[in-house]
Amino acid sequence: MTELLQVLVTMLFFPAGLFLLANAMFYQWIDRKLVARLQDRVGPPWYQPLADTVKLLANEEVLPFGVNKWLFIGLPIIGLAGALTTALYLPIAGLPPAYGFPGDLIVTVYMLSMLTLCLGLAGANTRDRFSMVGATRTLTQLFSYEAPFLLALLGPALAAGSWQLSDIMAYASGNWLLLTQPIGFVVVIIGLMGKLEITPFDAPEAETEIVAGALTEYSGRGLALFRLGQWVELVIGLTMIAAFYLGGIHNPLDYVIKTLFPLLIIAGLQTLMTRLRIDQTVGMWWRYGALLALVQWLLIFLMGGGQ
Amino acid sequence: MTNGASPHKETNLWQSVLDRLKLWSRKHSPWLIHFNSGSCNGCDIEILATLTPRYDAERFGVQLHGSPRHADILICTGPVTRQARERLLRTYEQMPNPKYVIAVGACAITGGTFAGCYNVIGHIDEVIPVDVYVPGCPPRPEAIIDALVILLQKMSTNGPKIEEAVS
Repeated sequence: MTELLQVLVTMLFFPAGLFLLANAMFYQWIDRKLVARLQDRVGPPWYQPLADTVKLLANEEVLPFGVNKWLFIGLPIIGLAGALTTALYLPIAGLPPAYGFPGDLIVTVYMLSMLTLCLGLAGANTRDRFSMVGATRTLTQLFSYEAPFLLALLGPALAAGSWQLSDIMAYASGNWLLLTQPIGFVVVIIGLMGKLEITPFDAPEAETEIVAGALTEYSGRGLALFRLGQWVELVIGLTMIAAFYLGGIHNPLDYVIKTLFPLLIIAGLQTLMTRLRIDQTVGMWWRYGALLALVQWLLIFLMGGGQ
Repeated sequence: MTNGASPHKETNLWQSVLDRLKLWSRKHSPWLIHFNSGSCNGCDIEILATLTPRYDAERFGVQLHGSPRHADILICTGPVTRQARERLLRTYEQMPNPKYVIAVGACAITGGTFAGCYNVIGHIDEVIPVDVYVPGCPPRPEAIIDALVILLQKMSTNGPKIEEAVS
């Protein structure tokens, strides 16, 4: 009975449920506020992401003509569930992860990709041409950033000699990998931006050319769930970066400070840069991103980091 | 269903709390879609100026969205031409309920300088229902922000009524 209760609390409240959603909304607000301040604006009030989400959930959901109904309704739920599940393996708020097994790093990375995959399918499901172009671009971008992102995340895993998140974090607590693997840190931050379709890499949802990309036909509930999923991914990505590269996470204060640092970098880059074309994005990742990640691997082997 | 249709709708506490939460979220997250149905572009430039950092409409939660499916408020400019009538109607119908319309500029209110042209049907009011009118040729960004605030206040007085009328 207590075991069942524990599982329910883990799934519904902490770390995977309400706590993570609240955390995601808070970080989304910080991101928007930082960008606003960097653009010399006042920016939205703290409850903005909450108001947006509640409003979208309360709005009508239009079911467009010609879509597969079950896919249209189910894809946002699966995407959000995939993003939320990853929290079970991560030290959210500085507490030890709820579950863990050897190789959970790989599971986490692929659970994060599920949202992107759902987004691509959702775009391809509708008959709208803008959604179609958006879906193509989303999946193209997935194939371009995924390899360098994974290669960069495997750098700490190689150095620690384990593919389990808690082992890697235990190793990273002793020595700051930001100092020993700076190239991997850069690749992983830019990879996270590509994953979240943040500004230099927002060709898949470029509103000036293809309306809103894969989400063009989504309104109300579906749109709210997809947006929540993307915000949750931001928190998960920041937690991974902090746990791997910034000396691990040991208590809630540590968590806040270490996750806000990469968020500041992301907000800065978001303000500084303009949108890349999709072919530029792909070219950049395969020509430089993957190469840099491999150079980082070579350095790890040369320095004798990989046991 | 009988409760929903009866005029006494404050029957249970849960429903009233939910209604207030919905109203609060709607008032704090107005998303716009901008449509030009035959304007000279003057008003459109002013609308874009409203969204720039100098006036910073994001303070009120305002975001400009490209897809009518995401938007709550249709902000339209200009008289309605014969060509644009169909598109204006379609854009309006694609928006999810509840939806609101702001007509910006003299032409949107009366047809303005284009009234009576062979290719112009008339003003926006003749095609879709309008909630707030912003006079001016073109109106300043302050006037457009004022119209937004008026619309948000209007939501709390007769917001649910509009929703009921549509459904």
